[in-house]
Amino acid sequence: MADSLVQENKPKQILQENTINTLVPQVEVPRVIKTAPPRYRNEIAKYIIRRSSECTLCGKCAQVCPYGVHVLKPGYKNFAAPRQHVCIGPSCQQTGHYCVDLCPQKALKMVENRMLKCPGDYRWTPDMLLATWKMAETGAPPLPEYGYDYHTGASGGGFDRLRFKFPDKPEVELTEDEIDTSIELNHRDDGRPQIKIDVPWYGGGMSFGSVSNITQLSKARAATAFNTFTCTGEGGYMERMRPYDEHVITQVATGLFGVREETIQRVRIVEFKYAQGAKPGLGGHLLADKVTPTVAKMRETVTGISLFSPFPFHSVYSIEDHKKHMDWIKHVNRRALISTKVSTPADVDMVAVGSYSAGTHIVHLDGGYGGTGAAPDIAKKNIAMPIEYAIVKVHRFLEQEGIRDKVTLICSGGLRTSHDIAKAIALGADGVVIGTAELVALGCLRCARCESGRGCPRGIATTDPELSEMVNLDWGTQRIINLYSAWRKELVDILIRFGIRSVREFRGRTDLLTHLDYTNDVEHHQ
Amino acid sequence: MNRQMIEKLLLSRQNLNSGLGLAMPTTKGEEEGGCGVVGFCCTEPVAARHIHEPSKQMHNRGNGKGGGIAALGFVPEQLGVSRDVLDNYYMVHVAFLDTGVRAELERKYITPYFDMASSRQLETLDDWTSIPALEAKPPDVWCYFVRVKPQILDAFITKNGFSLLSRDEAEDEFLSQQSIKLNQEFYASLGDKKAFVMSYGKNIMILKVVGYAEAITEYYKIDDLRAHIWIAHQRFPTKGRVWHPGGAHPFGAMNTALVHNGDFANYHSVSEYLAQRHIYPQFLTDTEVAVQLFDLLDRTYHYPLEYIIESLAPTSELDFDRLPKEKQRIYRAIQATQIHSSPDGPWFFIIARNLPEEKKFQLMGITDTAMLRPQVFAFNDGEVQVGLICSEKQAIDATLLSMSREDSRICPIADRYWNARGGSHTDGGSFIFNLEKNAAGKMRLTCADKFGVPVQLPAGTEVSSLSEEIKMAHSDNNNIENSIRQLFDAGSHIVYEYMLNSLPAWSFSEVSLACETIRSLAKDPDKTATAIEVLTWLNDRRYASGTKKRKHILQIVREALHQLFDGLPGLAESTASAYRLIGYASRELLREPLNGETTLVIDTKGFSPEGNDCDATLLMDAYFKGWRRFISFNCAGQRFTGCGLGPETHDVTIDVYDSSGDYLASGIDGLTVTVHGNAQDQLGQIIKAGKLVIHGDTGQTFLYGAKGGSIYVMGNAAGRPLINSVGKPRVVINGTCLDFLAESFMAGDVFNGGGFVILNGVAFDDEGRLVPLREPYPGSNLFSLASGGALYIRDPGNRVVKQQLNGGQFMPLTGEDWDIILPYLQENERLFGIKVDDLLTVDGTKRTPTEVYRKIAPTQLAALSSKKVEPEKQSALVADE
Repeated sequence: MADSLVQENKPKQILQENTINTLVPQVEVPRVIKTAPPRYRNEIAKYIIRRSSECTLCGKCAQVCPYGVHVLKPGYKNFAAPRQHVCIGPSCQQTGHYCVDLCPQKALKMVENRMLKCPGDYRWTPDMLLATWKMAETGAPPLPEYGYDYHTGASGGGFDRLRFKFPDKPEVELTEDEIDTSIELNHRDDGRPQIKIDVPWYGGGMSFGSVSNITQLSKARAATAFNTFTCTGEGGYMERMRPYDEHVITQVATGLFGVREETIQRVRIVEFKYAQGAKPGLGGHLLADKVTPTVAKMRETVTGISLFSPFPFHSVYSIEDHKKHMDWIKHVNRRALISTKVSTPADVDMVAVGSYSAGTHIVHLDGGYGGTGAAPDIAKKNIAMPIEYAIVKVHRFLEQEGIRDKVTLICSGGLRTSHDIAKAIALGADGVVIGTAELVALGCLRCARCESGRGCPRGIATTDPELSEMVNLDWGTQRIINLYSAWRKELVDILIRFGIRSVREFRGRTDLLTHLDYTNDVEHHQ
Repeated sequence: MNRQMIEKLLLSRQNLNSGLGLAMPTTKGEEEGGCGVVGFCCTEPVAARHIHEPSKQMHNRGNGKGGGIAALGFVPEQLGVSRDVLDNYYMVHVAFLDTGVRAELERKYITPYFDMASSRQLETLDDWTSIPALEAKPPDVWCYFVRVKPQILDAFITKNGFSLLSRDEAEDEFLSQQSIKLNQEFYASLGDKKAFVMSYGKNIMILKVVGYAEAITEYYKIDDLRAHIWIAHQRFPTKGRVWHPGGAHPFGAMNTALVHNGDFANYHSVSEYLAQRHIYPQFLTDTEVAVQLFDLLDRTYHYPLEYIIESLAPTSELDFDRLPKEKQRIYRAIQATQIHSSPDGPWFFIIARNLPEEKKFQLMGITDTAMLRPQVFAFNDGEVQVGLICSEKQAIDATLLSMSREDSRICPIADRYWNARGGSHTDGGSFIFNLEKNAAGKMRLTCADKFGVPVQLPAGTEVSSLSEEIKMAHSDNNNIENSIRQLFDAGSHIVYEYMLNSLPAWSFSEVSLACETIRSLAKDPDKTATAIEVLTWLNDRRYASGTKKRKHILQIVREALHQLFDGLPGLAESTASAYRLIGYASRELLREPLNGETTLVIDTKGFSPEGNDCDATLLMDAYFKGWRRFISFNCAGQRFTGCGLGPETHDVTIDVYDSSGDYLASGIDGLTVTVHGNAQDQLGQIIKAGKLVIHGDTGQTFLYGAKGGSIYVMGNAAGRPLINSVGKPRVVINGTCLDFLAESFMAGDVFNGGGFVILNGVAFDDEGRLVPLREPYPGSNLFSLASGGALYIRDPGNRVVKQQLNGGQFMPLTGEDWDIILPYLQENERLFGIKVDDLLTVDGTKRTPTEVYRKIAPTQLAALSSKKVEPEKQSALVADE
């Protein structure tokens, strides 16, 4: 009998054909930045401009404002509602374009938008939401004059206390073109294909059921444009996603909803979801109201009945079961890479090594900061180990065991910005998975009402047909492409400032980070 | 044992571990992965090499970073000692990781305290690297036969006030304490580990290595060492770099050796419980703690075995209520006392022990209450009896095959295979094989459950020693041959009928002649299919066999089938036949089917159980090349048979013979898979469409997440079948399940294309007749949290009670229901010969369906349902997928 361990170590020939099913033609999505303005007439802004009746429609304000806040459309006799979200606020005073001062009638007044005290939370501050929206609109980091403080949140812990130690001047002067942000996902040398993604992140699993069809598709199209991936989550694989098969990760989660051989065979990466960092040990939930007839049909269940994915897999209670489970999927899809998504218990390092020895290509750690509104608060904040600890623990243990370069370490759980991504990589991850940020790009307010009723007031995390029509597919795609583009620029900028050529070289460079709790360092200038 | 004595015993252990002033940890040192475990006992001493086959079969349950074996009941001559020494002296095995410390160790811990009858180093191969299954150099092992010096023992008894202990008990305790002290100095407390005691009991040996278990017998050159009981363990530690086998199983305590598959969720709590009794883990693994616990309950508290089992795997829920009142009182007290020491989480123990005072050996398997780990028991009766316990049935088969090759009195097929139902009132989740001499001084084996109820074996006393009989069979008895030849053209049913009618009266040699005739007729390409069909029915169905043991008939039938398959033409041959044979050696010859070829027959021997080199992969490739009908035989646990063919496979059939493996038919989407025998774990996961037929029992988590298909099981499904099933699976289980059948069943509306399970709760008696089980469903959880589909249960005596349902409710069975299930019962009749009329017959009287079957449908739980979801309008954006 052949020894499976010995086999693992020697490279094998590339495997034979995968399936006799016909593959559907794949759609290309161009990676171009186009402005994708907010979909609401009055986008939430940091400042509010009030125009009094003193206004004489002289047009001075529109003339001086370089951002295009004031618009007097031809043929209209009054100014349109100001485009407040592009206004940079009182800091405009220094520019000499400050409409409030320059208005001959003193008809303009600027106040802070008190509504901004509502959206977001300590982790996703209003500034971070506004900046993410701005990036999704423009495809570039927000202009400094907006003064958004968005690289860190206000949680007082985690990535919010980590800072880069940027040198005054990098040892090597690099240009944007010289920076490589791609990572490889297969380090096993087991005869399965190599997969390289252009950016060190991919989209997290959100099922049809938890989010709308359009949301899933927008994510998939953006992933295609950036030659990276998005994940179906648990609950089925829509036919409509098939043109993006090459950029889809399908999830085999504990409820096994919507998982079929056919869906496993379509994709290049299959993800086993054991647990979510936001709610380890609690399984998955889709509450009754969101189980619409379409969702029920997709999952082949009963309309209007809550669906629970158990924890853990009923067939996997130990590592050899996990290996068997993985061998099964590898058998069904001979070209696929396997990702194992686990949360971060205290012995997460052992879990990672165990998964590696069972044959996984990607170890995906999901820390405790993530999760949408559907995860219970008590779980979100109190069970899993913070991801920044888990990454280092696992990265170092894998190094000690001599297998760090044989497995891809991906982490997720509350990564909100390009800076978070860079920090995670510097801590030891190869790449990251993002979730909520993409939803924010689509206009999510972090109202945390994902699980209530039919879900999202913004039509993102919903399966209600009317609500989900609020998002347009082209617009949604563009918003996420724009966000990705802006992030990539910021990531390249970070690497240039360190004089590091590739994101792969940045992995594990904890020496380039500082933690404000453990040092007396003053905050380094960002 | 009185309380005072127990306290003295516990007190005497107080300072064993603290000698070096170190705090003892109660946290786990390393995560335990899963494992493969096997144990067998035999009335004859069996050579160590028979542990090879099951160990190899379960390679994929370990990762080569820890293997171990234990043996009990040796032949004194083989060890170079007298019977008296073997029976009365302690066998102490010490592993030296650092060979330099032996003199010091013996000087400090052995020579001053013990009278030694013998001491020797276990021989080893010169070069450990010549064994691929080893990952690190195994330790040097010394075996000492010792007794405590009388004056030392006197002093020990006086010092600790052990006057009430028998002298033997005191001596045991001395050994135990000495072993702890030794480990503490040379292993537990040191940064660099130098030596440790592997075992210290009477007539018992434990050996372990960093590698696969079977490497042990090879390295220590004990392939021929014989013993009555062997247990082995393949370990899968999650930590990568392991250089010494201290953490490997088995762990021993006195005369007990234990292997374990699973993981304690409450290791800390159990360790704390032990620490309060001055017992500390030295190797920091679950298994060590398990054996410490067993030893405490046994040797210190003197619990009877039944109570030990109860304290490990408590009886709960409905099972508890169904216990006799007196038992409830005692069990409640045990549970209250042992609540903190009861291991939580998935675990399955195999324990072997020597009971020198009772002059008997025991081998037992105990499962946790929730039955989260796989387990199979088997009993092979006869002149030589064998009892087996294993993680997978295929490992049992491999062991028996290996043993039968050496001793023709052992049949490669056992009389009975079964599972234990954890924490139950029926068997207590545990079975114990007792090996002791009968009045005539001959070793005999019995098996009983936790409550001491013996395991029923099939009747039929006649056994066969086949090899001789087959030879003489050919000369006479021409009329069997002629009858079969004549009937053959009339069709398989007629031949089968003839066989059934003749079988009870036939001798084994006549059965064998008949099968041989059928096999030889198969050479005619026009008759091959009929021959396969008849032999397959003889293999699958239950029928009367007179006084002959069924297993021996199966042995004959299977041998004929194998010879038939082996005789089919290969892919390179030009013989006319619809069948083509392919095997591991000829796998490169795979090609498209040519004219007239319909069926690819795969000899799975030699294929690995998973990966690119497994037969399921070959089958997949053959399917891509255009083959549509398959026969797989000689299976030895190879996994994933039938997986990976994708959708639109309605024209594919796969017939699987022998010991099929896990995950068979998982995900099938159209094809038909038939298992001709018992099946293993995790079959039919996410099955979408098609048909799965099992001519026997099936294992854990059957049909997890199934979405459709029609599925027929002749016997039982173990724990947790049909969990999280959705869509429209239609399932007939003729036996019963251990527990948790159809939990979270979500399979729509039966009247509108949804899914259901029919549970018949019947079995076959020795004559092949249908008999109802005592309980159609003994488990405490049935259809829990179900939201769709239905369950139809044959329960004329209303044995199933509301208490078992949590989310289900009894509903009247209507004519509409019967119309839906009848076609499935008819197909069930066609497949297994289980007649609908027989199912409707109760105590000899035929009843109406409503009197026999009960329907269970989901209740609408308010907490799970929404009133807000109404039919939605069709929209372009959420149109049907």
